[in-house]
Amino acid sequence: MATVQVERRELTLAEKLYIPEVVRGLVVTTRQMLKNAFGKKDVATIQYPEVKKVYPDRFRGRHRLTTREDGTVRCVACMLCSTACPAKCIHIVAGDRGGADVEKYPISFEIDLLVCVYCGFCEEACPCDAIRMDSGRHPLPSFSRDKQRIHKVQLLEDGVRSIARQGGEGT
Amino acid sequence: MSMGELILWGLVKFVCIVLGWVMLVATVLTLMERKQSAAMQNRVGPNRALIFGKKFPLSAFLGQILADALKVLFKEDYEPVNGNKWLHRIAPALGLIPAMLMWLVIPFGPGPPPGVEGHHWFQMADLNVGIIFIFAIASMSVYGATIGAWASNSAFSLLGGLRTAAQMISYEVTLGLSLVGIFMIYGSVQLNDIIWAQGDMAWGIVTQPLAFVLFMVAAVAETKRAPFDLPEAESELAAGYFTEYSSMRFAVFSLGEFIGIVAVAAIAACVFLGGWQIPWVETPLLADGTVDYGWLTVAQVAIFLVKMVFIIWLQMQIRWTLPRFRYDQLMKLGWVYLLPLAIFNLVITALVMYVLR
Amino acid sequence: MPTMTIDGQEITVDRGTTVLQAATQLGIDIPTFCYHPGLTIVANCRMCLVDTNKSPKPLPACHATAMDGMEVWTQNEKVQKVRKSVLEFILVNHPVDCPICDQAGECVLQDHYFNFSAQPSRLFHRKQHKPKAKVLGPDIMLDAERCILCTRCVRFCDEIAKTPQLTVVNRGEHSEITTFPGEELDNPYAINVVDICPVGALTSRDFRFQTRVWFLQTGRSVCPECSKGCTIRVDTFEGVPRRYKPAHNPQVNDWWMCDTGRLSYSDYLDNRMEGPTTTVDGKRRVADTESAVRGAVEILRKEGAGKVVVVVSPWFTNEDAYLTARLLKGPLSGAAVYMGGRPDGVQDDILIEADKNPNRRGVAEIFNAVGVSYAPLSALSTAGKTTALIFGDNHGLSDAQRDLLGGLDHRIVVGAFMTPLWRQATVFLPARIHWEKDGSFTNVDGVVQRLERVVKAAATAKSDGWYSMKMGYALGGGYRFDTPGAVFDALCHDVPGFAGMSYSRLGDHGMVLGSGEPPLVPSPDVATDGPALEAAP
Repeated sequence: MATVQVERRELTLAEKLYIPEVVRGLVVTTRQMLKNAFGKKDVATIQYPEVKKVYPDRFRGRHRLTTREDGTVRCVACMLCSTACPAKCIHIVAGDRGGADVEKYPISFEIDLLVCVYCGFCEEACPCDAIRMDSGRHPLPSFSRDKQRIHKVQLLEDGVRSIARQGGEGT
Repeated sequence: MSMGELILWGLVKFVCIVLGWVMLVATVLTLMERKQSAAMQNRVGPNRALIFGKKFPLSAFLGQILADALKVLFKEDYEPVNGNKWLHRIAPALGLIPAMLMWLVIPFGPGPPPGVEGHHWFQMADLNVGIIFIFAIASMSVYGATIGAWASNSAFSLLGGLRTAAQMISYEVTLGLSLVGIFMIYGSVQLNDIIWAQGDMAWGIVTQPLAFVLFMVAAVAETKRAPFDLPEAESELAAGYFTEYSSMRFAVFSLGEFIGIVAVAAIAACVFLGGWQIPWVETPLLADGTVDYGWLTVAQVAIFLVKMVFIIWLQMQIRWTLPRFRYDQLMKLGWVYLLPLAIFNLVITALVMYVLR
Repeated sequence: MPTMTIDGQEITVDRGTTVLQAATQLGIDIPTFCYHPGLTIVANCRMCLVDTNKSPKPLPACHATAMDGMEVWTQNEKVQKVRKSVLEFILVNHPVDCPICDQAGECVLQDHYFNFSAQPSRLFHRKQHKPKAKVLGPDIMLDAERCILCTRCVRFCDEIAKTPQLTVVNRGEHSEITTFPGEELDNPYAINVVDICPVGALTSRDFRFQTRVWFLQTGRSVCPECSKGCTIRVDTFEGVPRRYKPAHNPQVNDWWMCDTGRLSYSDYLDNRMEGPTTTVDGKRRVADTESAVRGAVEILRKEGAGKVVVVVSPWFTNEDAYLTARLLKGPLSGAAVYMGGRPDGVQDDILIEADKNPNRRGVAEIFNAVGVSYAPLSALSTAGKTTALIFGDNHGLSDAQRDLLGGLDHRIVVGAFMTPLWRQATVFLPARIHWEKDGSFTNVDGVVQRLERVVKAAATAKSDGWYSMKMGYALGGGYRFDTPGAVFDALCHDVPGFAGMSYSRLGDHGMVLGSGEPPLVPSPDVATDGPALEAAP
């Protein structure tokens, strides 16, 4: 049906002899070697801990929680992120904030980074612009699984104020 | 020279050549290969094990060698539970010893010219079988790999061992035959004589270009390196015959391999590149016909080493350039192309010699 | 007998039937907010407006009675437009804070909006602000902004709880629900207003912010707090029950349940003892289930039935009771049997019964039918006895009784919680509690209802009946069942009151004792792995 007939190119004598082609290959690799050893380096390696690649703006890294003007966490513990999460890695315990305008806040907000698949659905689901994945940071390695379960404090570490306005039109 | 002196000088030369030079080169090669391949592939290569800080130029080199050595020394020496323990233990030695023995007949510098009695100061033993001894020893090295593979009691290892045996036997024939033309032209199997003769006539690469190609191909196959690394093909057999080796025994296997590379390079330098001969420079002789050792000798040893390093570099370059053969291609290349070519080379050489005489 | 047509389907209904009820009979769904089948009709939400041929304007279906020759359209363009307008009207002052509203997910307004309106807001001026998070009573919070003033809660207090505590104050868009001055919403059925509130205006302070309702797993069960046995749903999140909700059952509780029962779930969450223990050489040891049961059996065998005191519990399911009755009639016949259970408490004439045990009636019925006689626990006497086999750990033992039991050589306790009985136990066998069992309860009126296994118990915890069965089998009882269903079938075969029942026939609403039709073909031998009672040794 969808069979594609590929015409095989007939090899030339030099190619059949193999040796010239080997020499050609050696020339390429040798040129590259000499260039890198003595001339201008053409090295693609990034010396990681000293040099870090700058990620694109839309890179989804470690999550962060944004804050309000008064520095409190913007999250209202609506759990839409944990609902949207396909990996079920967000665990929120909601509490009563006691305030008149916003009643609910997360007593604890935990993300299990080992379970997270970095899909970004939590960002999409969030009605308050409270969770974001634009920290540009990797989850760091750790010696225990517990350390990968990051809590509200860690999530607020690189929290800055969100640019969105709380509430919608006509409130 | 008495027997005692002969043995004493032999030991001194063994220490200088094998331990002082060959082992050193093989050790450095493990790192150099990585650096060279890195440069070929636009990478950086190992540069993290600094022992004298960043400023010292060789810091990363020395540190890496030291780190590698420490690593292999302190790793767990694992032995397969159902393998043959004793064979498993001696196999690396069986691989290393032949590689070292080859150095017995390789001349690093000028010895007495052909037909003149005298001591060869740059050769451990001036055997009259010469290069035949090397072939004899080299064919022993297959035992190390095969026995190690068998003793590991692992399917990967066994396959690797089988491949080693078949490949080594196949390419030994070509290896030997490719040099027969040289023997015919230069009229000797002793490397010292061949090198002197090359000084008189022309280098082996000029008189026997086809043989050089055949020899290099067969030599790369003998050292089991890409594109002939089927016995230890990582992607197919994990590590082939030494899959089940770890720690120092593993290191001994690869050390033997690197010494083999250096040995092959030395042989090629001797046979095809005029050994210690410096082009257009004659070796001064004393009245009794023996060599007048002086600064020129130092230069000759140096040029020999340079030629050797060049061949090593070439082998490395080939190893990192070409992809691995398929096993049937390997066998076909060995038996259907290389062997007839070697015989053809032999016949042509004989004909030309007959005509020219 | 008026005959009418709804959406082209003809139906003849009784006089006085409303259009809504007629539509329900036809299986036609009409959206409502203020209508509740258990409360009086006020027709103030206007959501159920339908188009009829009897009036130029749409009529509220919940209030309009069926007339002869009436034609009703519930889906036509006019009705759709009306519904859209009504929803827009209701949403004028609704804050739409669904993300933080506990009702979201089970909110009638949400459902109706997505089903019948789904149009974006056209309003741009500020919404009316009203009190939020206002405490109405010990268990109820009010968010007046979310309220759509359907007055279901007001009617509930007036009509069902018979304690008029709520009312509507102010007029127009300033209307709001509040308590009468000096009153609190604290009647014993108050949390039912949370259930009937169609939006998130009234929320339970117990469940408030605990979890989102769409995370809940649910299963049907029976409230064990009194012998009324209200049909409930147990909602669990992450394997832990988070709330009870009453389920509609006209035979027992209609739509309601008391607050005491509703909030009782938290009593069962802590202090669980889930590991069997045995006593070896005078020391308590952790054991596995098999060796603990074997230890118990060895004690019973060594002492002999005549030296055993058995305390049975009205917290047994019918299945537990049957298996225990078989044990007491068979291998342990001759043992002194006492009926334990929690002491009586308050009662009222709505739902709350004085007997605070869920299955006293069923256990009595089964024990009588099998032929096990028992005395109340108050008559406990241990004279000449050496061993106590105690099922359940909530018998409210007095100190004197505890001392009596403590004086015996062995106490085999089948319990679930950390109680003084656990400390006294020679052999402790961890039991499952009501939401971990498959089975049935018989309430004070004789309604047999199913319990579903909603929560997975620890692997070491087994039901009381399972232990009875294992002990009975080891002591030579010669009967064994694989599933609670098989036990229930055997029970229905042996106990006359249960005749004709089966799990599938119990259905959602249960069956009253003695109401079951005897099976046409008598089932020969319903026990899966052994003969039924008559053949038992």
